[in-house]
Amino acid sequence: MGPMIARRLLVSLPVLVGILFLCFCLMQVAPADPALIIAGADASPEIVAAIRLDLGLDRPLLIQFAEYIGRVARGDLGRSIISNKSVIEELEATIGPTTELMVGAMLLAVPLGLLLGTIAAVRRGTLLDRAIVALSVAGVSMPVFFVGLLLIQYVGYLWDLLPFTGRTGPVWDGGLPSLILPCLTLGSVLIGPIARLTRTAVLEVLGADFVRTARAKGLRESAVVIHHALRNALIPVVTLVGLQAAFLLGGAVVTETMFSWPGVGRLAVGAIVSSDFPTAQGAIMILALAFLLINLSVDILYVVLDPRVQRT
Amino acid sequence: MSAATPNTSLPPKRRAGLLARLMRDRVALVAALVLGLMVIAALLAPWVAPYDPYFTDLPIAMQPPSAEHWFGTDNTGRDMLSRVLYGTRNTLMMGLAGVLIGGALGALLGILAAFYKRIDPWIMRTVDIMLAFPAILIGLAVAAILGSGLSAVVFALVVSTVPDVARVARGAAVGVMGQEFIEAGRAVGVSNRTLIWRYLALNCISTIAVFLTLRFGQVILVGSSLGFLGMGAQPPVAELGMMAAQGRDFLFMAPHIATVPSLAIFAIVLAANLLGDAVRDALDPRLQQ
Repeated sequence: MGPMIARRLLVSLPVLVGILFLCFCLMQVAPADPALIIAGADASPEIVAAIRLDLGLDRPLLIQFAEYIGRVARGDLGRSIISNKSVIEELEATIGPTTELMVGAMLLAVPLGLLLGTIAAVRRGTLLDRAIVALSVAGVSMPVFFVGLLLIQYVGYLWDLLPFTGRTGPVWDGGLPSLILPCLTLGSVLIGPIARLTRTAVLEVLGADFVRTARAKGLRESAVVIHHALRNALIPVVTLVGLQAAFLLGGAVVTETMFSWPGVGRLAVGAIVSSDFPTAQGAIMILALAFLLINLSVDILYVVLDPRVQRT
Repeated sequence: MSAATPNTSLPPKRRAGLLARLMRDRVALVAALVLGLMVIAALLAPWVAPYDPYFTDLPIAMQPPSAEHWFGTDNTGRDMLSRVLYGTRNTLMMGLAGVLIGGALGALLGILAAFYKRIDPWIMRTVDIMLAFPAILIGLAVAAILGSGLSAVVFALVVSTVPDVARVARGAAVGVMGQEFIEAGRAVGVSNRTLIWRYLALNCISTIAVFLTLRFGQVILVGSSLGFLGMGAQPPVAELGMMAAQGRDFLFMAPHIATVPSLAIFAIVLAANLLGDAVRDALDPRLQQ
């Protein structure tokens, strides 16, 4: 398992450089001249030129990129143009809520998707199966914001059951109610695909020889389904969750914006709308790194679940 | 939802029955009908829209659906039906541009990678790096650099479509490369260009087309999400995702302003997904339930 993980980490390196380069470009191509921003609108050209020299803006791009990497490694991502706080400080405040939201959505979607998919497979061809299949196709086709709008309008506003703006605190400190609607919204993106794939995977495994053997041994049907079918069906599902990580991330950005959830996605959108490039660059970098990390964990989990993989 | 690489290579004899098989599938028929109607309505928007989509009429703002205004009016009294028609037009165009341009570029990369073994690792490593950026992030970055707008969203959709299509195309092309007629073509001195276009590309095209059909719904979802975030079309231009975002501010007073465009997106994506699944199943009945 070790060499496989090492190789996988090595492959991530160029991706990391790619992420850094994109963020660097974001600072470069930004229509606003950083020297002008620092100097202020009515500074003399000499002062602007001096700041330019000071910032190293006159040197070749490649050297500037190397320096940028050095700064990022030291945790220096610049300062927000809007709040004048350091970007790293802004990010630190938002990473927690975003992680909370994503983990919450997964905790909701994965078990529910597995359950629905397994039920559909076991009750194949019945009305229940068809309802679950139809529901998951509809779920895959729903825009995240539509789910959010419906939840806000009905559960939040009309029925007044749960809060729908902002975060009242960490989960362990009375923050749970404000977490539920955002997690439901984000989780809805995942339930459909997971249920659908679980159904297919379980159906496939249920027809396998070892399942027939298990049944022939006189195992209870529930044991056959849970230990033999579901365990093996998990492998494609884990891969799927990795493939869906992009949707999870995109959904998180939309969900945070809708529910005024103080996370990285909302920070990024706000920064872009207000042309706060240092903050936008930092937030996009963190989101890309999160995506890289999710995919890495999925690949490793894949090896743990299916030992056959490392031999290939 | 698309599998990573739908296996759709098939002998030509089976393809003849494809349309017939699709016609027998009632779900696919309804989906095709819905999608077709929406495309026609969007194309004909300037002629079928009952009102000017930009004409504001404050005294009748936020009216619920009625006989004069089938989908009601928005917060500035604009006719929602007309705006949804124009919005569908922009949203569909955005998705199509993303899928077609991204599909063409991705297919080219994948086929070249399969044909020229020497550049294969370079192309595929680059594609791997591109895959590390989810569409929404590319959208945010592009909007930050170029400024928000439909072109920023289309650019993001293209960039995020290229790597997946390149992988699918390479997979299909590698299969075709292993077949004897390529060898035969080389033996009789067919030029590389002809080999790539006539021998390779034509044999990969159905696989790529099916993948793109399956992909279309997702592209619309991502594009309209970017629109919803304000990275896409800017007011007063109508785009369904952006319209839903505008309606969000009036959700409790006039929910239809946000719901109607959201439903339109849902209908497009659902129809596209059902149709994509049906085409895949018709091409490869083994994948059927």
